[in-house]
Amino acid sequence: MTQDLIVTADPALPLLHLSVVTKSGALLDPPGKEGATRLLFRLMRRSVLGMTPEEVDEAFDGMGATLGVDVQRSVAGFHGGCIARQKTAFFSLVRQLVAQPDFSSDEFSRLKDEALADWHESIDSDSTLVRRAFTRHLFVDHPYGRLAGGDAESLQKITLDDLKSLHQSLFRSSSLIVSLAGDVSEREAVGLKTDLDSALNDALPNMPEISDPQLLPGRRLIFVDKPERTQTQIAIGGMGTHPLDEDHTALYIAHTIFGGTFTSRLSREVRGKRGWSYGASSSLPIDRKRQAFSLWTFPKSEDAAACIRLELELLEKLIEKGVTKSEISAAKRYLSNSHVFSVDTAAKRASLALDAQIYHLPEGYFDEYLQRISACTLEEVNAAIKRRLSAEDLLICVVGTKESILQDLTDSIPRLKTSTVYPFNAPAG
Amino acid sequence: MSLAQDMRPATQHLLDKINATAGEHGKVSYQGSVPFGARLKIERFRLSNGLHILLVKDPTAPVIAYHTWFRVGSRCEAPGKTGISHLFEHLMFNEIEGLKTGEFDKKMEAIGADNNASTWLDFTQYQEAFPKKHLPLVIDLEARRMHQLVLREPQVLSEKDVVMNERRFRVEDDIEGTAEEQLWKTAFERHPYHWPTLGWMKDIEGLTTDDCREFYQRYYAPNNASLVIVGDLNEQKALRLISETYGKLAPSVLPLEEIEPEEPQMEERHVELNLPTETEKLFLGFKSPAVGDANHVVASLLIEVLCGGPASRLRRRLVRHDQIASDVGGFIGPHRDPSLMEISVAARRGVRAETLRAAIDEELTRIQQEAITEAELNRAKARMELGLLGGLESADGKASTIGFYQTLLGRPAAAFERMEELERLTPSDLLRVARSILHPRGCTSVVVRKNTETPPASESLS
Repeated sequence: MTQDLIVTADPALPLLHLSVVTKSGALLDPPGKEGATRLLFRLMRRSVLGMTPEEVDEAFDGMGATLGVDVQRSVAGFHGGCIARQKTAFFSLVRQLVAQPDFSSDEFSRLKDEALADWHESIDSDSTLVRRAFTRHLFVDHPYGRLAGGDAESLQKITLDDLKSLHQSLFRSSSLIVSLAGDVSEREAVGLKTDLDSALNDALPNMPEISDPQLLPGRRLIFVDKPERTQTQIAIGGMGTHPLDEDHTALYIAHTIFGGTFTSRLSREVRGKRGWSYGASSSLPIDRKRQAFSLWTFPKSEDAAACIRLELELLEKLIEKGVTKSEISAAKRYLSNSHVFSVDTAAKRASLALDAQIYHLPEGYFDEYLQRISACTLEEVNAAIKRRLSAEDLLICVVGTKESILQDLTDSIPRLKTSTVYPFNAPAG
Repeated sequence: MSLAQDMRPATQHLLDKINATAGEHGKVSYQGSVPFGARLKIERFRLSNGLHILLVKDPTAPVIAYHTWFRVGSRCEAPGKTGISHLFEHLMFNEIEGLKTGEFDKKMEAIGADNNASTWLDFTQYQEAFPKKHLPLVIDLEARRMHQLVLREPQVLSEKDVVMNERRFRVEDDIEGTAEEQLWKTAFERHPYHWPTLGWMKDIEGLTTDDCREFYQRYYAPNNASLVIVGDLNEQKALRLISETYGKLAPSVLPLEEIEPEEPQMEERHVELNLPTETEKLFLGFKSPAVGDANHVVASLLIEVLCGGPASRLRRRLVRHDQIASDVGGFIGPHRDPSLMEISVAARRGVRAETLRAAIDEELTRIQQEAITEAELNRAKARMELGLLGGLESADGKASTIGFYQTLLGRPAAAFERMEELERLTPSDLLRVARSILHPRGCTSVVVRKNTETPPASESLS
């Protein structure tokens, strides 16, 4: 077996999926220059020595292929696919793109302008605004609070030398993971990985050492003010777990009960009984260090204060009283029976294997998922809730129109410690 | 034994056995089979109550996708009652006789099902994907909610609130949603495509429980529906169960569809919106063929050449060359009646919509005057082939594709027929269709400008 290579072959369709990822991501952005890693990948996607960007785009399109960029804090990569009969040409182009990037200053300037334009465009989206505000203000000074896409201020400061330096740090043979799924053989996959490795230097991967994030004490409100909102976007949360935490599986079951399905407590109370929000859910993502536990709703402006109060009450009740035996049974049945949809296609199986490598999970982590779910007891779930969740140390982020609702919100949130307002179009918002 | 392994005698024998004990509405007739790609086959059946049944045995994964497609969408609505198709979609997840509100979803979650639904102009569809052993339960639940839904005032009021919140999310507080709604409202003056599938807010507020009951009786009938079941299934058992459960349902007398055809558009129509945004946007809609029209495939290829992917003409011109746009999108409506080919562009800061329009008009003139190159044609075809294949990886994806074309065209394998047509297309075909679609008099435009009350971006965070 070749190291850092994942292959899930399936010839059912003449299609294949490719991921080429680096073991570090936006955490390597120089301070104050958030968005640099994403710019690097976008530049590499379009710039190959000996080809114009137009020629690169035409080459991908002509072979019925796509290749996009996805940069997160702990991992960055190219993801795409092609019609199987074109895989030789596809692999060849991907190889050139990784091994022979063209750091053209003209193209870099053009790309920076595009990235700034994209940022200005993105503030049209209220859900994007609330996600950014939540990430930035939950993790505060911790590296997880730095936005992988950057903002209008940080993007302007990035230089071409920053990208070249990041390229040296990220693209080493020991830093690259290649994943292939679909109509592809082990031999073809090994060939691609070997070619990529041989084109890169073999220094050890650059993996920044970071600690677990710590939550600021008390209930904090961050209000992103945007005019003419008939609806609010609300994110409430605190710290969650790391996938290897002893509490992670138990807390995952708790999250499923609380806000992970359509019949969960949050969805029933907010949407089902009151019709306050089209969506109401909780989230418990994973990363290499502890990530967040959060609740997401979007009620109309007039209901925002009442919705937040309700969510806080539900969270308090969860922590105080825990979950019941019948709720755990239902959650376990759902998680066990739905697991088949995490592995029903070659691409999904490859994606799980890739996650295991990216997040340094032990071999068999996802294979043993069902056993861990099944083994979890009521006592363990309720103990995990009490240990890991807090209804007092919380961040509450709201996107809405200040003059309509802010006073009502601050008056109605019990034990609110601080309240800060930012305009929606702040360059570092 | 799979039905596909055997030919008609064994199929007929199976159906004879089922029909021997089936009720008046549950008798099954075989409608033949249709290839679905290189490996699979759609076996087609029909119940005597009119229900279409399409089965595809695919043992790739131990799951089944179960889709129910109704030929009812916002095209079937009337002024003052818009949005009822979509509201009703929400209500279908509520109380069923013998199952209290919330129990349907609990049962689905208990089996690990991934379930959802959608409503659009021409259809409403319901879908589940689940581990294969639960097919009997799903058949029972789906048949029951087709005729035993219980509609009570509290649930209708609550779902109306949810739908109004959905409208705020997708339209009132969403710039693209607002602009799209205005585009279609302006482009269509008589045809029901004039109003949004979500419905106007005032209409949603005014919908009553009686409206919903009447809607249910009228449109939720077996003779207005197709079942599409894809996955690792035992077709014989499935057919027997479907006959037993759905065979209890009588057909409905479907209302006459009295669509007002749209008058030919004789001049460009234009709308200006002022919204809280930092950048101007331009949305164009050109009257375009229905999905069953021979020119629809050509038009799909045309929009791919114009807007599909970074090498497309408008992306290259507006984003890369002129650097006046941050994003370009294109889309052609896949609808039963003639609809719109859309182009949407977001300007960069400081760029006016007029500048975008001038550049777009130049490119649209060019594509009407000179044939595209073979290289462009082949790139667009390759992208469309990739798009089709990507949609067929899962059982759900296959069922969606089959259900869509069955409902709109009566041809469940039309996705592959379209790919065959695509292969035959030449630059001359695109030139012809570009000239028939892209003329200014058939165009509706919406410009979004920055609301002057929006405060300017601050220089730094205070």
